[in-house]
Amino acid sequence: MDKMLRNKVSIIIFMLPAFILFTLVLFIPIVQSVYYSFCDYKGMTDPVFIGFDNYTALFSDKTFGIAFKNSMFFLVFSCVSQLIVGLFYAVLLTNIKAGRNLFKNIIYLPCVLSSAALGLLWMFIFSPKLGINQLLEGMGIEEPPLWLMDTKGFITLPMWIIAFVALWQYVGQSMMLYMAQISGINKSLYEASYIDGCTKFQTFRHITLPLIRPMVATALSLNAIGSLKFFDLIFNMTEGGPNHKTEVLATHLYQQGFKYFKYGYASAIGVVLLVLCLIVTLFINKVVKTEQYEM
Amino acid sequence: MKSSLPEAAVRIPVSRKKITPIQVIIYVFLGLVCVTYILPLLWVLNVSFKTNREIFTAPFALPQEFTFDNFAFAWTAGHLGIATLNSFIVCVVALILSTVIGSMAAFGIARMRWKGSKLAMTYFLTGMMIPIHCVLIPLFTRFAGFGLSNTLIGLILPYVTFSLPITIFIMTGFFTGLPNELIECACMEGANIFQIFFKICLPLSRTGLFVTGLMTFIGNWNELLLAMVFISDDNKKTLPVSLSKFVGPYNTNYSQMFAAIIIAIIPTIIVYCAFSNKIVDGLTAGAVKG
Repeated sequence: MDKMLRNKVSIIIFMLPAFILFTLVLFIPIVQSVYYSFCDYKGMTDPVFIGFDNYTALFSDKTFGIAFKNSMFFLVFSCVSQLIVGLFYAVLLTNIKAGRNLFKNIIYLPCVLSSAALGLLWMFIFSPKLGINQLLEGMGIEEPPLWLMDTKGFITLPMWIIAFVALWQYVGQSMMLYMAQISGINKSLYEASYIDGCTKFQTFRHITLPLIRPMVATALSLNAIGSLKFFDLIFNMTEGGPNHKTEVLATHLYQQGFKYFKYGYASAIGVVLLVLCLIVTLFINKVVKTEQYEM
Repeated sequence: MKSSLPEAAVRIPVSRKKITPIQVIIYVFLGLVCVTYILPLLWVLNVSFKTNREIFTAPFALPQEFTFDNFAFAWTAGHLGIATLNSFIVCVVALILSTVIGSMAAFGIARMRWKGSKLAMTYFLTGMMIPIHCVLIPLFTRFAGFGLSNTLIGLILPYVTFSLPITIFIMTGFFTGLPNELIECACMEGANIFQIFFKICLPLSRTGLFVTGLMTFIGNWNELLLAMVFISDDNKKTLPVSLSKFVGPYNTNYSQMFAAIIIAIIPTIIVYCAFSNKIVDGLTAGAVKG
């Protein structure tokens, strides 16, 4: 049997298809993308090496500044809000008995729906003539807010709306992860704490929280990478507008690469995105993941 | 979550005796939360049956007469019918390929004995951290060179590749968990390695196949960016792309656009309602392992 499992030919047959696909469609393009980011490449002509010019151009690009700021806002907001709200829902749902599955399934539903479609849905809800403004009009409010057209403030109102829609859509994912972890905690721990006279809050603080810590790391890194990649909702709700105020890195990359065909410049944005993803994942795994407890 | 069903059934009479105010508050709160999830969908459904004029004269009333004209228009003129078919073809082919290729690699990593298996695993897992945006431009230019742009194959290849890391990761876990004796036994009976893989290990890892299949299918079904960049022919677009194009700033017929949104999400909702518990738990199991 050992001979069979060490057979070189069959190992190669098992590994080769995945290896070829992965290398050709993922690994080589990434290396190429890094190379393009150092090139003047506009699509029509061949790439010409120009060193760090694309990266220095990033710093003077106002829209890139806005996109970077918005991406960072989005990253922080979605990590924090999903952690708090997701954990809150999970605790509520593990504390009720009847109807748990129903609530859980409804809250999880948008996670499996197309965010392109949901983005359009929310675009209509916040559009000037439909949805919420019709409701406000019915209540007699003369000048309803502009919602997605507002441009005031450091983080503009449309950005907040998009962030809350994203929370609405994806909080089910975090909630389910925390619920899975909480229901895995040994019930005798809770019984022991009640006998010792702990309040509900104390048991949550000193038993639940430490025991779900590994899952916090998992959920946070999923959220972080997801929020950096974020594209569909923004593209369909505002397309980066008004006046580029809701641009994030992904939409800016799309605009530069496939509207203006600045391939080299867009590749530089892509490399920034890639580096951010790697940094954030490493950071979260270093900071949050601590020792695993016996459960 | 299945195990909680009998438990809940036993406990219901007990909890009925003492419904505390806290419990009432929790239920009311959760009910309100669920309203924010269902109400927008119902609103879109309601509007999609109306005529364009009714939207502004009686925005929240039920439609005067139920007409499917809006749906018919979006289905044919909006290319949503052909888009649904395209999405289906792309996702099914990508699902089959990524499951077969991915679980073969997973078997090679988990069961075969060779030096580089750890390294191979790390190589595949880095794929999970890489955003699809980074490879968009090189893939686009290269596929155009090969004549793959504007074809469904050009979409299937990257979809399969981007599904591989999660498939390999979850399936490796399942294959490692299989008892050694099974393989020894089969080997003694004279089965070769491929029979062991296809006839013993794969059928025994059905749960894993289900979970990974679900994750990749839903992910690919909803994918927008890559499909938007690679496909420009209206008859080859996938569902999210056709939808985004149909519901654009140049369209002024709102009820048709709302019908398009409903067409795009209704297949997923039906499947979800039918298998919601399995889907939710399956997706979570995949994420927990990932």
